Amino acid sequence: MALPKRIIKETERLVADPAPGITAAPHEDNLRYFDVTIQGPDGSPFQQGVFHLELFLPEEYPMSPPKVRFLTKIYHPNIDKLGRICLDILKDKWSPALQIRTVLLSIQALLSAPNPDDPLATDVAKHYKEDEKDAQRVSKEWTEKYASN
Amino acid sequence: MTYDQDFQPRGGLFFAGSDDEDDDVNSTRAQIGVSVQPAPPSGSPHEKRLFFADSDEEEIPRFQTPRPIAINSELVMNGDDGESDLEIPSFEEVPRASSVSSISSGPDSLRSSSPALGHSGDEPPVKKRRLSPPSKVQARTGQASSDHPTYLGSFLVGNAWSTVRGKGYIKPGDTVRIERDDPDDFKSGLPISGKGKKKALPDNGKKKQLTLGAMLKSQPPKTTKKADTVVRLTNDRGFEFGRLPQHVSSWISRLLDFRIVDFKGSTVVDCPATLHSGADLIVSLSVYVRASAFKPPSTSAEGSPKTMFNQGQETQDEQTLRERKSALLSLFEAVNLRPCRGAHVQDSGNMENGSDDMTKKLTQHPGGAKKKKIEIVGDGEEVEVEEGEELSDNELDVIYKKRSSRAQKNDQSMTEMDPPNTFTLTLRGYQKQALMWMHSKESSEISAREAVSMHPLWSEYAFPAEPQDGVIDLTEAEKLFYFNPYSGELSLDFPKAERKLKGGILAVRPCNLCAVIGADSFVSVGMGKTIMLSALIHTNRDPEPILPDDTARDLARTRQLKLDNVFRSRALGQRKKPTKGPSATLIVAPTSLLSQWHEELQRSSAPGTLSVTVWHGQNRLNLDGIEDDSMDDASITVIITSYGVLASEHSKLLKSGGQSSIFQVEWLRVILDEAHHCKSRTSKTARAVYALRARRRWAVTGTPIVNKLEDLHSLLQFLEYTPWSLYSFFRSFITLPFLARDPKAIEIVQVILESILLRREKNMRDNSGKRIIELPAKEVTVDTLQFTFAEQKIYDSIYNAAKRNFDQLNAKGLVGKNYTHILAMIMRLRRAVLHPDLVTDTSDGIGTKPSGHSKDGVIDVDTLMNDISEHDLSSGSKAAYAESVLANLDTSNDAECPICLDVMQTPSIIPPCMHQCCKECIISYLATCTDKGEVPRCPTCSQGPVKEQDLIEVLRSSGQDSPHQESTGDEKEGTSTSEVFLRRNDFRSSTKLDALVQNLRRLRDQDPYFRAIVFSQFTSFLSLISVALDRERLSWYRFDGSMDLKKRNAAISEFKQNERKPKVLIVSLKAGGVGLNLTSANHVFMMDCWWNAATENQAIDRVHRIGQEKTVYVKHFIVDHTIEGRILQIQKRKTAIVKEAFRGSDKSGKANPESLENLKVIFSDN
Repeated sequence: MALPKRIIKETERLVADPAPGITAAPHEDNLRYFDVTIQGPDGSPFQQGVFHLELFLPEEYPMSPPKVRFLTKIYHPNIDKLGRICLDILKDKWSPALQIRTVLLSIQALLSAPNPDDPLATDVAKHYKEDEKDAQRVSKEWTEKYASN
Repeated sequence: MTYDQDFQPRGGLFFAGSDDEDDDVNSTRAQIGVSVQPAPPSGSPHEKRLFFADSDEEEIPRFQTPRPIAINSELVMNGDDGESDLEIPSFEEVPRASSVSSISSGPDSLRSSSPALGHSGDEPPVKKRRLSPPSKVQARTGQASSDHPTYLGSFLVGNAWSTVRGKGYIKPGDTVRIERDDPDDFKSGLPISGKGKKKALPDNGKKKQLTLGAMLKSQPPKTTKKADTVVRLTNDRGFEFGRLPQHVSSWISRLLDFRIVDFKGSTVVDCPATLHSGADLIVSLSVYVRASAFKPPSTSAEGSPKTMFNQGQETQDEQTLRERKSALLSLFEAVNLRPCRGAHVQDSGNMENGSDDMTKKLTQHPGGAKKKKIEIVGDGEEVEVEEGEELSDNELDVIYKKRSSRAQKNDQSMTEMDPPNTFTLTLRGYQKQALMWMHSKESSEISAREAVSMHPLWSEYAFPAEPQDGVIDLTEAEKLFYFNPYSGELSLDFPKAERKLKGGILAVRPCNLCAVIGADSFVSVGMGKTIMLSALIHTNRDPEPILPDDTARDLARTRQLKLDNVFRSRALGQRKKPTKGPSATLIVAPTSLLSQWHEELQRSSAPGTLSVTVWHGQNRLNLDGIEDDSMDDASITVIITSYGVLASEHSKLLKSGGQSSIFQVEWLRVILDEAHHCKSRTSKTARAVYALRARRRWAVTGTPIVNKLEDLHSLLQFLEYTPWSLYSFFRSFITLPFLARDPKAIEIVQVILESILLRREKNMRDNSGKRIIELPAKEVTVDTLQFTFAEQKIYDSIYNAAKRNFDQLNAKGLVGKNYTHILAMIMRLRRAVLHPDLVTDTSDGIGTKPSGHSKDGVIDVDTLMNDISEHDLSSGSKAAYAESVLANLDTSNDAECPICLDVMQTPSIIPPCMHQCCKECIISYLATCTDKGEVPRCPTCSQGPVKEQDLIEVLRSSGQDSPHQESTGDEKEGTSTSEVFLRRNDFRSSTKLDALVQNLRRLRDQDPYFRAIVFSQFTSFLSLISVALDRERLSWYRFDGSMDLKKRNAAISEFKQNERKPKVLIVSLKAGGVGLNLTSANHVFMMDCWWNAATENQAIDRVHRIGQEKTVYVKHFIVDHTIEGRILQIQKRKTAIVKEAFRGSDKSGKANPESLENLKVIFSDN
């Protein structure tokens, strides 16, 4: 099936006018599959890290949200060991008015503001709740270990 | 032979009576078929055989039980009269009108049975035998020649053999009798046709059930056949001494069984003095044709109807015919009798060499296709002849060339004829030609040439002179008889070609042969066929004389009616007959065309020359008096009625005691407009049409063949174009070969059509090479559309369900039984393509009916503003945003839809937040949310819930002509001042509707006063279209079958009115596809496709016809990957059929294999 005009448009815009700290490039053989990098936001334990993600636009997109997953290991209460992300706009709060760019910006924002009250990785969330400092330290360690190249 | 015992006690009686009685019965029956002359009532018991059951399906039940009648007659012979009265009381009251005779008077032949009866006592046979003793024949001498067995010739049989030993049985020179076992013993093994049952074989009550049952069963096994052919030789004392050899007896037995011949005065030429078993005998057989042979053989003569449940019967009939004709052929060969002219004249040499072979082949391949050959008979008349076998392709080519040159001559250089001055319009050249043609078809003088030409299937034979004492009287006038080698019929009457047909088919393809250049030239553009037929009515206006011939023939026509009705109407007719012959014309047309006919007829006639009455509606006059009325003044009476009225009158008539004046009047001429309305010969309409009594019959149609070749048959039946009007004949010679993929079938159709069909097409050329009609160009485009996501889902689910259903039925082999069910599923699919609402329940509020306040859903911007400020006082910023949105509506032209990221084509505002999206995007999103069970919210701000019908469409009228358009929204002054208006989304559109609306918008931009016609076959879809047009604020007019005549006429005239605004006429394909003249429009939109392209083309030709001055644009909307593609495929094949049949003159050569291939697929698929 031909690629919807919307996806083409979004891709063009991502390439022409990338969001700061974010890159997204479609695979040549599958234009619905994107390689994404997000820089860890300044002031967060993920600062200096470059996180690789994969993003896939399902058939129903934009009526359904894109599927996004961290490929780089990250110590974050809302992201589990498999890289899955707990973010409302990727689930029930999705709206077709959102775009790839807005999704990635939201993820970037999630790195700045972890939300341990709505955890996905429960152990990390517990750690963040009990001893936020120590947890941030681990996050930083992981960032240096896995997300610096 | 258990029957023999049953019969023993009465054997003598039966034996005696059987022969003559059979003859008499048969000849009486024959008189019905050929019946020509009324005879006085008679109380004779033989009357009881005169049922009129020959041809109508309804009579089938009567057919199935002819036995009781025959048996009653037997009883009557034995003096028992009471029972028959009980059985068929109606016969007694019936006037004798039916039993009529041309050849000899019935009573005469009836009386003749009594001497024979007396004779019978003298010769008590050992076994019931069919005898042909000279004595019996003598009993009948002095009667009409037709009853007298006539000498046909004699021949020697060299190897008859003896069955006895001893001396004294026979000596050379002795008279021999030729005997057959009584036919009773053959049971149904004897080829007794459906009506042959009436042959009143000696019979008794006990056997009746059994025989009847046996007859309805299939053919008896072949083993009985051999015994059947035994022909015994007996001496004058009645002792059997020998038999005829098998190769002779095989056909002689048939001839005897069918009561075709007598062998009297046959002698033994040579035999041994002492006979022993198997001894060779040489016998000379003298053949005399019996009178009964010249009555039509049961089946072929009257074309007894074949209904679905009677299929088995038909093959039996066919066998009868086959055996009869092959026996006759063998006989003619044996006595060396050759046709003087007609079929087989030229291949007599062939017959000498290979006739044995030929006969065998004819017998072996009865159903096989007959090759045809054209021979010249008389003064250049071409006659179609069946060759026995081998006819090379080269010869066939010659035939085509001949035919095509003749056809061309016919078509182009046909003479013209001017109408009389009571006809006020001027005809075009081709119309004058048509008039000439029709006139010649109607008047007998012109067809004088045809009168001498023999019926193409018959051949003429001369009776050889009978040697009397060895001297042949050469002074005796040559007596002729006729034989039809195809049906096995014999006749003493000259079989005229097209003897009954007065009329024909006028195939005014796209009925647009209209241009009449008259006093008021181009303004008055009427229908060509109306004009041509009006001219015909004026030209041949004299009443036909009352011919005894014709009255009788008309009687035969009314045979479909139930008995009592026949006689009642007959009685009425008789009352009127003396005054004058029929002069009135009846026109039967679809309801929608009645007024058009009326107008055109009036317009084309000088005042007072034509009295036209539309016979329709509640207050229909009694037509009884019309003929007498029209006598008084000089005007011609024309009655116009509809098929519906005719059918209902007919059913009224069929009800016991019902009467209908329309069937009692004998019309001079009946014209069927759009004659394909009666294409199914079993339909009520068709039967009603067949029941009309008329001298001249015309069928006008654009599509003589709509779906199948048999469509043509019903027209032929109406026209009474024998022999093709007989269904069994048509079936054996056309349908079956056609089904067997035999291209000859199509050739036969061409031959038929050539003689009775005048084809006028707008792209035909006249003799100077000009097109007979110049029409502006017609551009047809097909718009292939794609479903929206939601529509695709709905369609797919219906399709999958239907397919599953079909596959299951198919696997179980139940497709045939559930045919209507499958058709219903297909119908549903076709609706689903048009609009989802046509297949789904619309309980969710967004339906076909606008729920809004005004019919086009337009709302006022100010009202909306007020609403916002009232409801959203709390959130000031939102209200401000909303206000700015509304204020900027007319400027923010290229806003991007947040969903598709494209410029919004049809922006929709989501209340109350006033965010905008494309209409399609937001609707599709709302649908997804609903599917997932989520509350639909605004995609931009998540405010919800959002309902589809709350959406507000923003419509911008673009283009320079906007001021004109605004005038269309006449009532909505408030919104029409602005270029932008808002509309509630309270109507669900569909792919096709959107496509239509977009096309109309574009059209309006180009031509603010356009006129367009929109066709659909679904009136429910027409309703949706009308809503969509309302929303576009386009004026529309509707024409469909549910509207009464007045409303329809009003719609048309309003549409035609000259106004400075665009107008759309939405028409149901079935109601408006024919006849209407809509040349004021030049844009046609076909919303759906019909099974055959002919119907569609006819619809398009409402617009593309004489009087059209602009190019006609036709647009078909087709949704990709749906059932519509299949329909188009089928359409193409159907076009192939019709073209093939019409191919006729322009190309010589054979049916090309491609088109045949096409046909194959149709018949295998559907």
